[in-house]
Amino acid sequence: MERVVLGQVELRIPRQAEFVRVARMTACALAAQLDFTYDVVKDIELAVAEACTNAIEHGVPRAAAQAARAASDAGRSLAAEERYDEIVVRFITHPEQLAVEVIDRGQGFDPEELGADEEAVGGLGLMVIRQVMDEVHIECTAEAGTCVRMIKHRARE
Amino acid sequence: MTTPLKIESRIESRDTAVLGLAGEVDVANVAQVREAALELLARGVKRLVVDLSATEYMDSSGLGTLVGLLKRLKETGGEIAIAGARPRVRRLFEITGLKQVFALHDDVAAALKEVC
Repeated sequence: MERVVLGQVELRIPRQAEFVRVARMTACALAAQLDFTYDVVKDIELAVAEACTNAIEHGVPRAAAQAARAASDAGRSLAAEERYDEIVVRFITHPEQLAVEVIDRGQGFDPEELGADEEAVGGLGLMVIRQVMDEVHIECTAEAGTCVRMIKHRARE
Repeated sequence: MTTPLKIESRIESRDTAVLGLAGEVDVANVAQVREAALELLARGVKRLVVDLSATEYMDSSGLGTLVGLLKRLKETGGEIAIAGARPRVRRLFEITGLKQVFALHDDVAAALKEVC
């Protein structure tokens, strides 16, 4: 049976740390619309931030990230072939749940490879996402990049 | 709306300092936190209290930086303690298991007692 969709919002943000806040604010607004409690709204905000951060940190080949840093340090713009992709953040609201997809159309990352190193933000970020969301599915393909799909169910009254 | 980050560092004694983080710590500004902390370490600080009483939001990028500082300080026989974390930030330490790794204190005074 297909789920009833109340609404769908899609953000396309540049792969830049400053834009994670835009995704966070959107997550808060949509989660609040579904009457999640304050703490759950903040959990969803955190999970969206972590997924976007992972996409920024791990979603492009290391060489591309290094090229971007080198260009920034040298005060020059990125050449076309060095340019970062964007991240798609899709929110789908249902009467009984909020689903969020963070899609990185870059190279993709292997969640297993992020490892358990505590200082590696990716490992901690995934741990946070898994703790605060009810369902987390990660799909990585070389062609489509990575899709982190997270679901938070509304508590039954 | 998000709140800009304000960083305040204060040397308490020869090798002890308090690093206060007010506002939001996220991937966009965490490098400033790391820089401020490393500056203190470069000045000989070995006992560091991170005051999170005014930290409204922190994600794993902030937490990762604190873990990095912990490792550096432990390597040189130093200490780090966390003061005043609000419930949302405290939750981050809890769900990542880092509550067992960091000493979390109610306020700066208690944290200073721990590290000195």
